[in-house]
Amino acid sequence: MTLKECFEMFGGDYEGVISRMLKEERVKKFILKFKNDPTFDLLTRSLEDENYEEAFRAAHTIKGLCQNLGFERLYKSSYEITEALRGGKKPDSDSYYQQVKTDYEQIVCAIELLDQQ
Amino acid sequence: MEKRKVLIIDDSELNRGILADMLCDKYEVLEACDGSEGIDVIQQYGSELSIILLDLVMPNVNGFDVLQFMNREELINNIPVITISSENNPETMHRSFKLGSTDYITRPYDETIVKNRIHNTIMLYAKQQKLIDIVAEQIYEREKSNDLMINILSHIVEFRNGESGLHVVHIQIITEILLKHLIRKTDKYPLNISDIIMISSASALHDIGKISIPDEILNKPGRFTPEEFAIMKTHSAAGAKMLSQIEIYKDEPLIKFAHEICRWHHERYDGKGYPDGLKGDEIPISAQIVSIADVYDALTSERCHKKAYSHEKAIEMIMNGECGTFNPILLECLVECSDHIRSSLLGETDERRDIISISKEAEYLTKEVLKNENIV
Repeated sequence: MTLKECFEMFGGDYEGVISRMLKEERVKKFILKFKNDPTFDLLTRSLEDENYEEAFRAAHTIKGLCQNLGFERLYKSSYEITEALRGGKKPDSDSYYQQVKTDYEQIVCAIELLDQQ
Repeated sequence: MEKRKVLIIDDSELNRGILADMLCDKYEVLEACDGSEGIDVIQQYGSELSIILLDLVMPNVNGFDVLQFMNREELINNIPVITISSENNPETMHRSFKLGSTDYITRPYDETIVKNRIHNTIMLYAKQQKLIDIVAEQIYEREKSNDLMINILSHIVEFRNGESGLHVVHIQIITEILLKHLIRKTDKYPLNISDIIMISSASALHDIGKISIPDEILNKPGRFTPEEFAIMKTHSAAGAKMLSQIEIYKDEPLIKFAHEICRWHHERYDGKGYPDGLKGDEIPISAQIVSIADVYDALTSERCHKKAYSHEKAIEMIMNGECGTFNPILLECLVECSDHIRSSLLGETDERRDIISISKEAEYLTKEVLKNENIV
């Protein structure tokens, strides 16, 4: 599987990320790192612990990473949960998190496939 | 050439990694995982850091706290900061600019844009620093030749007086120390660092009027008769008159300060001095300071009619009012600077004018120029 095919699997902006980061190996290197990034786990844990300030920071970080890595779907859902959590508020629905989780798992799954080659 | 240092402060390791990867071929990249670690690195490296890339949303100590710290420590003018937060609401951006951030790089990072913005910001700051250094160098050269001429002139007077040339050096050192302390203590006297350097240069000329006193009086061993003392006392007005007759330079601040000092360095705070009997702050602050420095140095020097008193004894005598009355705030300065004065006078063989005050003056002047030209 090529990097481009990997991006297609989760609806990422492959052309955009290559034009900004200039090198395919660089994009691949950071995509593989994303799989082990602790921020999603931090978001999950903070929500369980009802620590909404920590959850806000985690969601915010995920949002920023998605912008850089061209993860468009996860960017949209992490943006929405960030705004729902802003100011340490409890989100008014669990659906924000569920959407982030779905988008995140889709990406990780595609990256796993890329990594297995 | 050594690579310039870039500090990235961001709590996301992956984000730091992306930036570091873009920058590491051209810069030495330092990383900090939150605001407090960032502050530690800033304290360690200071202005060795060419630029700081700062995230805003971080646990504990956030990006705004780092900017506030840099403002408090006056580092914000020397180290450029580019904000790299993914917050892109105008309010957050405004706040970071207000706290002194130079630029704001939004996500997604585009390598070409990131590199160019960092490079341009570093160059801008480096050019300004270079300008400050050039101005400092020129001021230093100018001050040096100024000082040289003033010292030759004042030494001629001092040698005729049979005093060592150290007297004027001492007066200059004490004047500078007291003035610097005074402006930290109170804003009552509006003096900037440039005025202070000028006043301490001019202080060397305080006794030039003695050139008009006949030898046999000037160098008389033992006490003066009342008539002789009356002639001696004319030296302050005589010095001032000589300076006021230098027509072409009469508007120079150095001449203005030297004139104040010559004419009024024997006035007393209680109005009982000469030649004009000025009282309190009617006496210009330059002359008040030189007066106290002159008394201190007279006490601690050996003269034909007396031995030298110790530093401690001299301070004690001045504080007890045995040698005239002085502005209370200057007496406070004298006590508070006592150790500094003693150690500076002992180290008088070293470079007297410290290069730091020259470069401070240069920085001040450069900023004034930029402000007047509406450049900043």
